Amino acid sequence: MGEKIDERLPREIGEGALPSHAAIKSPWEKLMSYHDAAHYAQRYSAVVGASIMQAFRILMPDYVQRATALCENAYARLNPLFCGPYGPMSMDEHNVHPFCRGNFPGGLAGDSGDDKLLMCGRVNDFGTYRVEKELDVCYWDIIGSELCRSTTQSLQGVADGMASHLQPGPKLEYHMVEAKGCGDLHCRIVAENRGKFPMPEHEQWECFGPVGSADQIRFTPEEDMVKESQAFREECDYRFVNGTCLELDSTSYYPFVTMSNGSTYILPTIDAEIKKGTLDEEFVNHVLRCVCEAAGKSAFGEFYAKEAFRNWVGAPNDVDDGRLMGAHIEMFLQSMRIPFEIEAFNAEEVVCVIDRKAMENYMPKIVDAYIATWYGMTKTLVSARWSLWEEDSPEGKVRIRIAKKIDKFC
Amino acid sequence: MFNRNVYKYDDMKRREHMAVRRTVGWYLFTHQLLEVTGKDAVPFLDKVFTGDIANLKVGRDRYTLMLDEQAQIIGDVIIMHIDEGRYWISTLFLTKLTAWLDAHKEGFDVAYENVTARYHMYAVQGPKSRELVDAIAQDRVDNLKFFGIMDTVIDGVPVKINRAGFTGEEFGYEIYFAADQIGKIEAQLKEKGAPLGAVEVTEFQIMAWTLPTEAGYYYMRDLMHTDPIEVGLEYAIDWDKDFIGKSALQSIKDAGPAREMVGFTMDEDDARVNAKDLGGPGTRVMLDGHEIGRVSKFNYSFLNEKNVGYLLVRKGTVKKGDHVAINDYDAIVTEKKFI
Repeated sequence: MGEKIDERLPREIGEGALPSHAAIKSPWEKLMSYHDAAHYAQRYSAVVGASIMQAFRILMPDYVQRATALCENAYARLNPLFCGPYGPMSMDEHNVHPFCRGNFPGGLAGDSGDDKLLMCGRVNDFGTYRVEKELDVCYWDIIGSELCRSTTQSLQGVADGMASHLQPGPKLEYHMVEAKGCGDLHCRIVAENRGKFPMPEHEQWECFGPVGSADQIRFTPEEDMVKESQAFREECDYRFVNGTCLELDSTSYYPFVTMSNGSTYILPTIDAEIKKGTLDEEFVNHVLRCVCEAAGKSAFGEFYAKEAFRNWVGAPNDVDDGRLMGAHIEMFLQSMRIPFEIEAFNAEEVVCVIDRKAMENYMPKIVDAYIATWYGMTKTLVSARWSLWEEDSPEGKVRIRIAKKIDKFC
Repeated sequence: MFNRNVYKYDDMKRREHMAVRRTVGWYLFTHQLLEVTGKDAVPFLDKVFTGDIANLKVGRDRYTLMLDEQAQIIGDVIIMHIDEGRYWISTLFLTKLTAWLDAHKEGFDVAYENVTARYHMYAVQGPKSRELVDAIAQDRVDNLKFFGIMDTVIDGVPVKINRAGFTGEEFGYEIYFAADQIGKIEAQLKEKGAPLGAVEVTEFQIMAWTLPTEAGYYYMRDLMHTDPIEVGLEYAIDWDKDFIGKSALQSIKDAGPAREMVGFTMDEDDARVNAKDLGGPGTRVMLDGHEIGRVSKFNYSFLNEKNVGYLLVRKGTVKKGDHVAINDYDAIVTEKKFI
């Protein structure tokens, strides 16, 4: 096994792709547009997030306990951030006016964040006592309803944080009254002031409604729904513009699409539960690995899935080895803008050295989740004779090897 | 089940809106303030803004526009001549404003500073606003002209009172004061306002949308990617001086604008319409099955008891009284003013 790299593949593959070029490319020079890469990054991350949620469900079987942990963690992570210097920066970006009182301007951050995460839709109401936002697309809709609840609480944390920089005013309670993750046509946030719209008290995780202004909901029928964010829509002149004149084009959507995903809610919660002693870290790692390996094997279990993948990356007919998996990883890393280098890419092995910090995205455990997922994928995308593992990682890097391997304890 | 009008049946919004129309409403309406000074402050402001700043006397203010080189509106502001050589620019989009000034200040001896954190502003608007301001201020405001500024004192707090507003009311005042005195000013407005039937306006939608829309005013979102001629703001242009965007604007004027902003009313109360004021492209405006424009504003006139708004449509496609379809709701084209 040598450090041989096929001529077709420069060592710097991936470098200078996003955002310098409006595309990423497969090892066989097949291009994927910036637009598609952004969508791919969001969905791929959501699929991994779905696995991680399944692991969390095994680790903490009680729905209420789990949802509570997720909601508390989401609020606790976002609120201090927006109470601090990031709050005024975000308010400045969103043109939150100095005369706004209370926490309703938080809806602006939710709206632009949704659009940048390619979760397109529309604001239906924006006022001091009521805010309504409706989504037509949500890439996280496969992860689980607990996540939908926790995203609502992150928005509550953002809104309350922004409010701390404004004159005191009415407080809104943010609810997700419909969720695509629960099978609804839309995701719908309705935030209401309880003084004006009284409703019974509830626990933090019970942020799914009901609300007091259900009759004011503006429900967009399926035929009028949109599929793309404003920055990818001709009717918007390819610009996101919110009600307070924040204006963005699609170049602003990176790196946002890579920064926030389901895992960014679940893994910090799991870490917090380990710290509290509710979960045992060794067992957490074991369950994460088991679930992600199984999910990876499922990804290419069907023969047509492999054929579709080959076509997607433009794999030559005579290539049916670890390079397929290498191509898969390269496409993902490029779409996530995670720096990497290819050390070897040939019929015997693929070696990919990835920037650990970028891969972690503040979640150390996601590295193991990716590796377990990719290990599982290798078994069905290539064959059971092939494996994928981390080996001899230099400081700050994750060195992945894809090669044939016999393992009597796999 | 859905689409219940968020204004019509809301007694709180109705009370706040109608107080401004019938008695007096007061509310925190602090804007961002940029203080401009320096030897070249006047030529600099005259270059950046479309209105005549050189003839703006101390104690007066003016509504004016900021255009880019293509004559698209990138800001609409009030410029106040506070003291000799000292100007305040009142805006809600300071970041964009400052970036634009930075890009064009080379060669000018000018300085500007964000003084927003130092001042709050209360708006006092409506037929009895003069009575209320007179009741709390040391000096009477009877002789203050529209867009005139005077210095006085309220409960020991030095204030600047600007006769202006975003409501269309004949009588309306904006009271500027040191930010840490907000409690004193608010207490005065509450105490002296009560016998007059004054109401504190608390709803953003009333201050920013329903009152200005009835009056035919714009919020900056309505003006994005438009030029002054198509939206009927030519009165804010001083053609006798040079300013950024002038030659492009002259070309637009010569050729005639491609679009126009018109008003509309809609009899359907519980309608599902998304205007640009909530972000996004706005609902399509259809005439004989063809799209002729988009909805810029959509809210409610409590005076007229119906939905009202603005449409940005292809020039010449509609005239007052014409019917258009917005999400299959019938709408009637009107003047862009509802009081």
